[in-house]
Amino acid sequence: MNKKSTQSTMLFPYVLWLALFVFAPLLLLIYQSLLNIDGQFTIENIVTYFTSATYITMTIQSFIFAGFITAVTLLVSYPAAYVLTRTEHKELWRMLLILPTWINILLKAYAFIGILSQSGPVNEFLETIGIGHQQILFTNFSFILVATYIELPFMMMPIMNAINEIDPSLIKASHDLGANEWETLRNIIIPLSMNGVRSGIQAVFIPSLSLFMLTRLIGGNRVITLGTAIEQHFLVTQNWGMGSTIGIVLVVLMFIVMKLTNNTPTRKRGGR
Amino acid sequence: MTETIVTFEKVRKEYDESTVLKEVSFQLEKGKFYTLLGPSGCGKTTILNLIAGFTEATVGNVLIDGKKVNEIPAHKRKVNTVFQDYALFPHMNVFDNVAFGLRMKKTPKAEIKTKVEEALGMVRLKEFANRSIVGMSGGQKQRVAIARALVNEPEVLLLDEPLSALDLKLRTDMQYELSELQKRLGITFLFVTHDQEEALAMSDEIFVMQDGAIVQKGTPNDIYDEPLNRYVAEFIGESNIVEGHMVSDYRVAFAGYEFDCIDGGIPSSETIDVIIRPEDLEITSADKGKFVAKVDTQLFRGVHYEIILYDQEGNEWMVHSTKKAKEGSTVGIDFDGASIHVMRKNESEADFYKRLDTYTEILEG
Amino acid sequence: MTEKMKWSKLYLFFVFILLYTPIFYLILFSFNEGGTMNHFTGFTLEHYSTVLQDSRLIQIVVQTLLLALLSSLISSIIGTLGAIGIYYVKNVRTQEVLLNANNILLVSPDVIIGSSFLLLFTIVGFQLGFVSVLLAHIAFSIPIVVLMVLPSLEEINPSMLKAAEDLGANGFQILWHVILPNILPGILSGFFMAFTYSLDDFAVTFFVTGNGFTTLAVEIYSRARRGVSLEINALSALLFIASLLLVLGYYYLSIYSRRMKKVKRGVAE
Repeated sequence: MNKKSTQSTMLFPYVLWLALFVFAPLLLLIYQSLLNIDGQFTIENIVTYFTSATYITMTIQSFIFAGFITAVTLLVSYPAAYVLTRTEHKELWRMLLILPTWINILLKAYAFIGILSQSGPVNEFLETIGIGHQQILFTNFSFILVATYIELPFMMMPIMNAINEIDPSLIKASHDLGANEWETLRNIIIPLSMNGVRSGIQAVFIPSLSLFMLTRLIGGNRVITLGTAIEQHFLVTQNWGMGSTIGIVLVVLMFIVMKLTNNTPTRKRGGR
Repeated sequence: MTETIVTFEKVRKEYDESTVLKEVSFQLEKGKFYTLLGPSGCGKTTILNLIAGFTEATVGNVLIDGKKVNEIPAHKRKVNTVFQDYALFPHMNVFDNVAFGLRMKKTPKAEIKTKVEEALGMVRLKEFANRSIVGMSGGQKQRVAIARALVNEPEVLLLDEPLSALDLKLRTDMQYELSELQKRLGITFLFVTHDQEEALAMSDEIFVMQDGAIVQKGTPNDIYDEPLNRYVAEFIGESNIVEGHMVSDYRVAFAGYEFDCIDGGIPSSETIDVIIRPEDLEITSADKGKFVAKVDTQLFRGVHYEIILYDQEGNEWMVHSTKKAKEGSTVGIDFDGASIHVMRKNESEADFYKRLDTYTEILEG
Repeated sequence: MTEKMKWSKLYLFFVFILLYTPIFYLILFSFNEGGTMNHFTGFTLEHYSTVLQDSRLIQIVVQTLLLALLSSLISSIIGTLGAIGIYYVKNVRTQEVLLNANNILLVSPDVIIGSSFLLLFTIVGFQLGFVSVLLAHIAFSIPIVVLMVLPSLEEINPSMLKAAEDLGANGFQILWHVILPNILPGILSGFFMAFTYSLDDFAVTFFVTGNGFTTLAVEIYSRARRGVSLEINALSALLFIASLLLVLGYYYLSIYSRRMKKVKRGVAE
């Protein structure tokens, strides 16, 4: 057996996989988006999508939600990741950060159904401090809260890794040249960890556009993301053509976000 | 009258249970070039870190300019460091790297510009101001790192093995440049290295370190010619060290013979180490030398032959000679009595210099 | 300085409390005698016994594990071969194209993977059920295996391969005796990741499963939509412990392989 044939034998199943499960589905998605509900070839779906106020607002809304979730996770994560890299038991904290991502997100979402419900602990607390009962579950707020919660580790991890990778002597050098903690953070650590921030944004923003399970369980069908719309068209109204069209829009958005964040994927765990 | 700039008062440093620095005391004077010389792990970098403020002494005081600085953080000390791996900020260009320290001090923009340009001129990198750090050669990065530290006009410049990543030619060039720069600026340099040639070439004073303690302090000449013990002698250069004993003052026995020497003050018949540098030995015919030895091997080193011989007691001798020897032949080895240096075992540095003052005959006289 | 440190520690602590509250909340109420997730009325193990007696649920757990095991095993084999293949590709551009293609499924949102696989299976006329879910899981696990195996391939000293060739090993022998033993840690972590990806998946399975086959995630979804049932809490507590063990196992594995590397390097020096 020569090297060349060994190589092609090894690559064969992989390339087959690429063809069948990466390219074929994508092409099918494009093909399907060009079929209307009766199976006729048309660009009707695309025209509908870009002319219908409903679809446009839905897309914009989904974008705003995803942006908001990403911004909040970033704001919470960066300081936490920074502090985390400066603590003593770094490895332990890292483990503690990873552990929740190993718990099925359905279970985490389910926990919030209890926590945020009408007579749940949050409402009970609001009652005691005199604000009184609030409808929390099935609101935009609850959706953002739970989504932020779920995405938090995926933002924190890449930032933490990026800060960890900064050569400690650079930080030493910064102090040596007269910069205090804050100046070092601003001038050295933040610029040098931007890669991690970009990875984090990518790892959080794209899934946030497409969350559909959460919108159903926590958002109570009030929040509609691109993901919810796709699921709706495929599994409920059976309008696969329109579903595929939205899918294509989502894929295009995904590529744009990836180009902007200019990174290879970093999301290592779950969130599916 | 010289002024003291850095003082260590019985400074000890421990890292979880292990002592990396044992009660070290010394003073650095203004405007001198000091070198901490020793193998890795001997505590020399710890001394730098203590002065720079990256770590705190467990016991003892560190004084800069007469003020205790134990609790003062690194960014408030008038000390700057040139790091081993340069530690240049990769996201800034050359100018911004050098300007960093001044910007932290909120120096006016115009002043920053002139000072940075001056500093870059000093290291001959004036045209490189807008260059990116990425893609610069090791030597250029080195210069940027030096300029970045010097632009802050530190009272002490700490250099942590700054030349170790450079190739031999560049290293030698930088040695000249550094020592010239130091003389011109008159700033105290504290240079850390494990390379004895570097230390000998540049320093006004060398501190030889071993296991967290300073073994011997002295000028390059002192340390080369009169090492305190076998450790210092072996560290500072190639040498022949053999065991022998004292016969009387100015008379020593080794290799099966007795010789005149210039050392005294040691009880007779005490076992001592004798050191003779390879360049002080000369090969002659068997009947002319002070003792005979058999040529074992020789290597051509360019400027000289390095010849290994064994005497009748089995001691190994290394001779640097411009003339070739014949392998397997018996030859005589000749030397001047003054090139013998006798070292007592376990003598302290203080006792050593005291004895030297009393007993060493001044040769130059 | 120390004051600042204290505040930042407090912040970190707060973030982690937030991170863990829902999980512990869930577990706490798995012991609740009352039937709700709101008021703790008393301690009981009743829900655990319900879980253990729920033969449908047990069957689903077994199915889910079997699915995860099979899909991660197969994807590890294909992914490892693929990674080695990619590593051997001489042309830099081809290699880049392959790597980018590998990333597509990794960054694709689940709904896209789910819906496009549904399209694929329907157009081919494939019966939706265990096999379609298995194929889908294998498909989305392959790129993660490739991603985990590639770094350990890149760590292999190329002159080691030359040495093996020099000593007369053929292509297959080099693969079997030199490459595979060296990338084993990478393959193991790839397998592990694939396993947890499969266990964790909800969306893709939701799209491509048919009647008669369901996984734990899908089951929890349909139960949760019907309302709170403390049986799910009990199940989640059990799953939490299982994940904890998995994480510890993985942690141990990674430390072990790191130590092995050190030992190897020590010998080499």
